[in-house]
Amino acid sequence: MSRTGTRALGLICASFAVLCITVWIPLDTDTGLIEKVRRRVEIGDALAPTVAAVFVLMGGLLLALAPGPTEAEDRAPWRGTLGFGVAMLAMIVAGFAVMLVAGPMALALADTVQGSAREYRLLRADTPWKYIGFVLGGVIAISGPICLAERAVTIRALLIGAGAVAGMIALFDLPFDDLLLPPNGDY
Amino acid sequence: MKDIFKTLLGAAAVALAATTTLAADWTPPGPIKLMIAFRAGGGADTQARLIAEELEKRHGWKIIPEQVTGKGGLNLAAVLKDAPADGTVIGMAVTETFGYNMAAADAGMKPGDFTGITTTAGFQMGVVSLSSKGWTTIGDAVAAAKGGEALRFGAMSPRLADLAYLLGKAQGVTFNIVEVRGGKAVMDGVNAGDLDLGFMAGIQSKGVAAGDLVNLASALSVPLNQTPDAPTFADLGVDFNSDGQFLFAGPAGMSAEAQAAMSAAIAEIISDPDTGAGALIAKAFGGPLIVSGAALQAQLAADFDASGALLAAASE
Amino acid sequence: MDALGYVWLGILAVFQGPEAFALLGVGVSVTLVMVCAGFLLGIVAGATPGLGGPIAMAISLPILISAFGFTPDALLPVMGFLIGIMKGATIGGAVPAILFNTPGTPDSYMTTLDGYPMAMKGQARRALRIAHLSSASGDTFSDIVLILCAPFLALMVEAYLDLPEKTALLILSLSFIAAVVGGSPGKGLISAGLGLLAVYVGTGEDFYPRLSMGTQTLNRGFPIAAAVLGVLILGTVFHQMAQGHADRLRPSGDAKTPDQDADRALSWPEVRALMPTILRSSVIGTVIGALPGIGSTLAATIGYTSAKARHDRHSPPDATAFGTGAPRGIAATEAANSSVSGANLIPVLSLGIPGNTAAVFLILAAESIGGFNPGPSVFRFTTDQVNPELVIAFGLFTCMFVANLMNWTVGGVFMRSMGFLARVPRHRLLPVVLVLTLTAIYVQETRMEAVWFTLGFGVLGFGMRLVGMSPLPFVIAFILGAKLEDSARQSFSATGGDPWFLFTSPVAAVFMALSVLVVVLGARRRP
Repeated sequence: MSRTGTRALGLICASFAVLCITVWIPLDTDTGLIEKVRRRVEIGDALAPTVAAVFVLMGGLLLALAPGPTEAEDRAPWRGTLGFGVAMLAMIVAGFAVMLVAGPMALALADTVQGSAREYRLLRADTPWKYIGFVLGGVIAISGPICLAERAVTIRALLIGAGAVAGMIALFDLPFDDLLLPPNGDY
Repeated sequence: MKDIFKTLLGAAAVALAATTTLAADWTPPGPIKLMIAFRAGGGADTQARLIAEELEKRHGWKIIPEQVTGKGGLNLAAVLKDAPADGTVIGMAVTETFGYNMAAADAGMKPGDFTGITTTAGFQMGVVSLSSKGWTTIGDAVAAAKGGEALRFGAMSPRLADLAYLLGKAQGVTFNIVEVRGGKAVMDGVNAGDLDLGFMAGIQSKGVAAGDLVNLASALSVPLNQTPDAPTFADLGVDFNSDGQFLFAGPAGMSAEAQAAMSAAIAEIISDPDTGAGALIAKAFGGPLIVSGAALQAQLAADFDASGALLAAASE
Repeated sequence: MDALGYVWLGILAVFQGPEAFALLGVGVSVTLVMVCAGFLLGIVAGATPGLGGPIAMAISLPILISAFGFTPDALLPVMGFLIGIMKGATIGGAVPAILFNTPGTPDSYMTTLDGYPMAMKGQARRALRIAHLSSASGDTFSDIVLILCAPFLALMVEAYLDLPEKTALLILSLSFIAAVVGGSPGKGLISAGLGLLAVYVGTGEDFYPRLSMGTQTLNRGFPIAAAVLGVLILGTVFHQMAQGHADRLRPSGDAKTPDQDADRALSWPEVRALMPTILRSSVIGTVIGALPGIGSTLAATIGYTSAKARHDRHSPPDATAFGTGAPRGIAATEAANSSVSGANLIPVLSLGIPGNTAAVFLILAAESIGGFNPGPSVFRFTTDQVNPELVIAFGLFTCMFVANLMNWTVGGVFMRSMGFLARVPRHRLLPVVLVLTLTAIYVQETRMEAVWFTLGFGVLGFGMRLVGMSPLPFVIAFILGAKLEDSARQSFSATGGDPWFLFTSPVAAVFMALSVLVVVLGARRRP
């Protein structure tokens, strides 16, 4: 990193720490730095987080005041790396979001067609319902980043995703009776 | 107080008999989520998982255990409170969660928000020290404290810390009360010499039998099975005790059939020493202690109300 | 029960535990099978660029826990498997380093310097044999030191350190890690501070779950697996994927290797010539490994550079120079990075302080299964009743020697056949690893929030790598945070509320002074 970059990082961390010490920790703990219980002074719940934030503050100040020399390996193409990271993360989040809703949506659809009214929660450990979300979401979260890296949607990427998901079902679901694949623990 | 419980217990037995026929027909409408308020791998967690296994085997119910730990069971209670009340979501915690902890946290939860299913076992809660200290009863420890020794008293919950404080107050000494995480930590602390004495809820039995540890007092309303001569807290001038049990509970509004079916099924398992759960309870907790139905609900409400008095006494 | 009795019980616990299957009428214990399986998997993971030991451990752990359950019986098979991976990955990492100039694990980077030139001269098989010999020797040496030191260190701690001193020791370890690991003390402090802050969310003594902003999402805190795997594994995966994208570099392993000499065992004079180098590097690796936070990469670097300096001074001018295919270069690196693995269990087992990622996973396993709390209380040699934790500890030592035996016997052959793994394309493998990790976490935590938390920590880990901040202090602080707070509270209460409890005893005061000193010295050297 460059000296300016290091200084900026230090300042950001230091400001975050100050914010924690002055706003978040005092407002979001009930017992203060120390408290009095049973006629004795005890360490309160705010002390440990405050010490943690002081660590961050000290580190931040150290970087901001004495950033040291520019590090040699500063050739990293930051922007490309960051952009790709964000795109990949979005793909994975999308995959798990689909995972969360696909099963209940499929059930609602089936219910409309068949005229029944079932609860996904009670079917969360039954085939085929328990697999729908995991398979759809899993393939998106695996094949998506592969396609992103290859800059093309390929059959091969989809096959890798499907194969990996099948492997995970074989690993977690088939041998263990009381494990729930995502997203079924949430229902 | 005890008489009330006896009456209620009788009432519960009648109620139980009445619902048994109904209970036999009850089956959960889907898989049961069993939340466990204890760390994986400990005695309490093992007990819950063994009971779940046996329920699956005997009744064909599908039970999926998961850990919801922290805050003395209140994290579990917070999830359980809003769960569906059809018997598909239950939790295993201790009575203290619904009594002292709910009262102390004052987070808008009360025993009425839950359906007590059944208790399984009580604690053999003693005040324990190393026998190498040379103490044989709590009086010796008090004498040491009066002689100027600063004694460290280990407790694994705020309620027990309050009790330790009140014990010191009643005996005219001040203990340095050290709160640690779990009974195992108290035992390690006592063994390592970091603590002088502390509460242990049953794990001391092996050490006491071997002569390494000694039960100085019973923190219960009754004497300890293992050391019946140790004085109880009432004998020592403390108006409160640490009586408590493990229990299964569901959200408020569970149907009587579901509650009765579950409590009957669990009671049957833990009373059978040939099951893993029954054997564990017999070994570690001195046998099953079953309170269910209306009696359990009344006990939880009474514990909750009485906790206010303990909290007030300890903060005087 | 005396000390030897415990050693014997530990050995029995491994060999006579629950049976996996019977071979010619003799039962083979499941622990034994798991150690061997872990070892082979470790070699595979180490030989696959982009995978490595930590990822293999992260993925296996939840599966193992599901398979073996939450009983004390699960401890030895599960931890034995992890130990197997740890040892296998170290030797596996040398394979692609030598054959394709691509280090399989970061600590085998130095192996490429002489390994690849040897392969270019047609001596790849010989280089692999040297790597294996050095690695196995260093590993065995380190394990012996561990077994000799850990119990005594633990006994000393229990005998001489009271609650305040234990608190001060935790503070010293944390500041040491922050000051020494990666980047600079500034970055180390930030990393450790953030780790502490994260672990304090939702925990605490009061019934209100602090820092939870009143939400049910945060009131149970961050699951340890989400924080550790997020920062370590997901952070690496994001980083490697993004870097691969940015470089869009040469597909690894396309280099043409020249015709290779026939494979033959190393001759005795060859071994004897290497032995001094191997021994010196083993000592270096063991000493470094015993200090928390300094990993095998640094050990490899120091081992290599010190061997190089010695070589430059003492060798005749016609000897192969370091960096152009010197066998001693490989030996120095591999012996040093492998001898870290045993020694870094010294602080874990005797103090409960994890020093590197492998140790982090062993703690994670112990925490998840329960019934074994690494720390000084493990080594209580009780005489009239059996201390089960001590039996487990000696069982773990036995597992290490089983893995070493595997290493000496089949390790070399297996390792030399793994060259093809270097051709597995990273950008197809890593997304699978990522979803597998998230699924494994979900299966344990059974709520989607855990997945979101893990992704969040993954972003943090990615960011840390972008700015050159080591995530290790974060992880270690996260693991030690609760213990640090508890122990401070307990010392404070135990001393009757003495605000100076960290400074009243000489030992604690010395620890505290040292904690400040390491940060100050570190900051002076490189801010």
